[in-house]
Amino acid sequence: MLEQMTDEVISNSFIQNQIDESNPPPAKKKRNLPGTPDPEAEVIALSPKTLMATNRFLCEICGKGFQRDQNLQLHRRGHNLPWKLKQRTSKEIRKRVYVCPEKSCVHNHPSRALGDLTGIKKHYCRKHGEKKWKCGKCAKRYAVQSDWKAHSKTCGTREYKCDCGTIFSRRDSFITHRAFCEALAEETARVTAATSSINNSTLPNMNYHFMGSASSLGQNTAQHFSSIFEPVMSSNHELLTDPIRQAGLSLWMGHDTTQNSHAAPLNLQPLFSDPKSSYQFNWASTTGNNRINIPSPFDEQQKMSIATTTNSLPVVNNIVTKDVGNQLVSIPSLYSSQNMSDQCTLPATMSATALLQKAAQIGATSTTDPSFLESFGMKRSNINQVQDGSKFFGLFGTNLMTTTSLGNTTTDQVNDHLSNLNHHLYPSKRRHIQQDQDSSGSGETRDFLGVGVRSICQTPSINGWI
Amino acid sequence: MDRVLFTHKGTQFLQYDTNEHECSVNGHHQVDMQSTNQSSLTSTSRGSSESGEPSGDTKWASKLLKDCAKAISDKDSSKIHHLLWMLNELASPYGDCDQKLASYFLQALFCKATESGQRCYKTLISVAEKSHSFDSARKLILKFQEVSPWTTFGHVASNGAILEALEGESKVHIIDISNTLCTQWPTLLEAMATRNDETPRLKLTVVVTENMVRSVMKEIAQRMEKFARLMGVPFEFNVVTGLNRLGGITKEGLGVQEDEAVAVNCMGALRRVEVEERGAVIKMLSSLNPRVVTVVEEEADFSSPRNDFVKCFDESLRFYTLYFEMLEESFVPTSNERLMLERESARSMVRVLACDEDHQNGSFGGDCERREKGNQWSERLKENFTQFSFSDDCIDDVKALLKRYRAGWSLVQPQENDLGLYLTWKDEPIVWASAWKP
Repeated sequence: MLEQMTDEVISNSFIQNQIDESNPPPAKKKRNLPGTPDPEAEVIALSPKTLMATNRFLCEICGKGFQRDQNLQLHRRGHNLPWKLKQRTSKEIRKRVYVCPEKSCVHNHPSRALGDLTGIKKHYCRKHGEKKWKCGKCAKRYAVQSDWKAHSKTCGTREYKCDCGTIFSRRDSFITHRAFCEALAEETARVTAATSSINNSTLPNMNYHFMGSASSLGQNTAQHFSSIFEPVMSSNHELLTDPIRQAGLSLWMGHDTTQNSHAAPLNLQPLFSDPKSSYQFNWASTTGNNRINIPSPFDEQQKMSIATTTNSLPVVNNIVTKDVGNQLVSIPSLYSSQNMSDQCTLPATMSATALLQKAAQIGATSTTDPSFLESFGMKRSNINQVQDGSKFFGLFGTNLMTTTSLGNTTTDQVNDHLSNLNHHLYPSKRRHIQQDQDSSGSGETRDFLGVGVRSICQTPSINGWI
Repeated sequence: MDRVLFTHKGTQFLQYDTNEHECSVNGHHQVDMQSTNQSSLTSTSRGSSESGEPSGDTKWASKLLKDCAKAISDKDSSKIHHLLWMLNELASPYGDCDQKLASYFLQALFCKATESGQRCYKTLISVAEKSHSFDSARKLILKFQEVSPWTTFGHVASNGAILEALEGESKVHIIDISNTLCTQWPTLLEAMATRNDETPRLKLTVVVTENMVRSVMKEIAQRMEKFARLMGVPFEFNVVTGLNRLGGITKEGLGVQEDEAVAVNCMGALRRVEVEERGAVIKMLSSLNPRVVTVVEEEADFSSPRNDFVKCFDESLRFYTLYFEMLEESFVPTSNERLMLERESARSMVRVLACDEDHQNGSFGGDCERREKGNQWSERLKENFTQFSFSDDCIDDVKALLKRYRAGWSLVQPQENDLGLYLTWKDEPIVWASAWKP
């Protein structure tokens, strides 16, 4: 009889336990972040001695100590307690959080208490305890035995791979290699080339490439000039709608270079390569997102802003401005790439003039190459004029060898020197001239593209060509 | 007369033998040499593996070289000529260890005999500079560190001592006078970033005197700065390049500030100071009030016998034999890096053996290479600093490091009478590491 009863009791208790476990789990599974406890929880502060004591949980019947509450409960069942005493009091169900006894520790404060007793024990050992466990292979030390065991399993098996492709089995040689590796230097070189706005000789290079690519889009040369000012108005619709390009352009124009460092390599390559196909491909491949979503909100922006302004550069700027209400800002989030989210650190809304002036400064602070100019026997005063024209040619990059004929027919500003330049020089040389122009002239309104505004006004024949 | 040494080497040796007969003094000397040769081989394992001779007997190069040194010291010109000629016949910088040693020491002995040491040294330096670049230097040192703990031993020990001494400091300034092109610091930066709760600000001042190092310092600086950024350690890198000799460093030149915790790291550095100036340099270092000074030097004494050519030669032969053997066993036979390191040693040999200190002045350029042993350095450093032993954790790190290399490496732990840490290659102590506090 008794046996039957006990069986019953046991089976009952089993069922009960199961029920208990099946109901709470959904609530239990919700874990707080470590150190951000439930505000309703009871805060318990244990002394170090109590914390490290192995047998905190005592059985009230026989006095046996257990490390964990679960073990104690299991043990208590064996005592065949009457039903009432078996239940946990409602008080005990209340969640407990623990603070670290170490006063200097951040987890000492109740607001940063940890929810698990085992957790607080381990934390105390790790941070404030003596590291008694040592790995034989690598001499790493651990205070918690389970940490040490876990490490020993993986120690020596892990391989470290550098960006350059070399694989190391030793961590220290990997670290030293990484510090000196070419891959690190290259990546940084790319980043610095992309983001440095001062004394960056590649910046005009970007200038040229961009112009070259812009011009290659539209077949009509007459459009080139306008396209320079209005890159977004290119006939290629997709190009317009591609926020990366816009963002990329702003990256180029932008002054917040530090934050763009992540995105720079990503952006520049599309800029330099064929903008239409490979660029979009780049974009798609790097983010793997569906681009179809993009155009619609963007298009509206485009139409809106184009209508309101005459100079397209501010158009671009407005579009990509980091405005809270601006839809474009939200677009990168579609792509969810962390890189791209950094990309949208653009300058705040600026007036068109301010933008142009600032951009001109970028060009102005680039290094000059006076010796080059001297080699042509040109005086400074001549240079300005020569450069206006040559810059103009330079704008169209290597595409426009036809400009040589143009050069011959223009005004005296474009003299023999210039035609020499045209024939013998390629964009790399023109770049120097352009830089010099930017720095030698001062105070005049100068658009960042490098075309002297003056030259446009003063060389009507060139304008007429357009 | 022991002919076993030479019978299979050809007639030249037999000739040498007959010379020996004629001169009983020499014969006696030869026996002495042999016995010293025997005793210089502290472990037979080294001898048999290196010489390649069937019986694993004494090495011919060592004997010939020593004889030649003696002859030079005695100014016995006919003998000098004879021995130099023989060495020339047998030596080769591309042969086995013996041949290499013969080749490079021959060069030094020749310079000594003809008093053309300075010129030779300058030529060697300029040849090396021509093929020197950041890439080649980087490749060389990284490869060397991969195959041998010669330099990494000092790195790990010093970094451990530095990290422990500077624990808790928020502004840290490390003064680095070393010959390892900043390869010590990436692991320190990483440890600073990961081990500590709060990463301190690190300022690294590197003192450079050699032209070859100077030319690559810019690239090194860039890499260090980038790496520190990667690690998230606030970092400042300075290079002191204006000095033409290490003895000229001054407190002002180093730019130490009041609120910084200073650590001085001398890795293969103090030996580059002229012997007479060493005391002054150490005193200057103590005036910086550093928390810790780590000194790592190679275990060889070229300093006390600097007026006794034969003794000095013997010691350098002993040391470089060890070094060359170590290189041969660590690198692959066709390694270009090993060749570079051997040539570097050759320059050092010429410098120590054939460039008289008397002629030294600023115009000569280059650094002194007169090494001293650990106990000698300790005598010097004791005047301004107190030595302390590396911590157990640090020593464990070193042990773990040595485990990652081929067999043959071991260390001698700090003892009561000698707190330094020694790296041993086949039980021969070769590198000494120590830590000092004010």
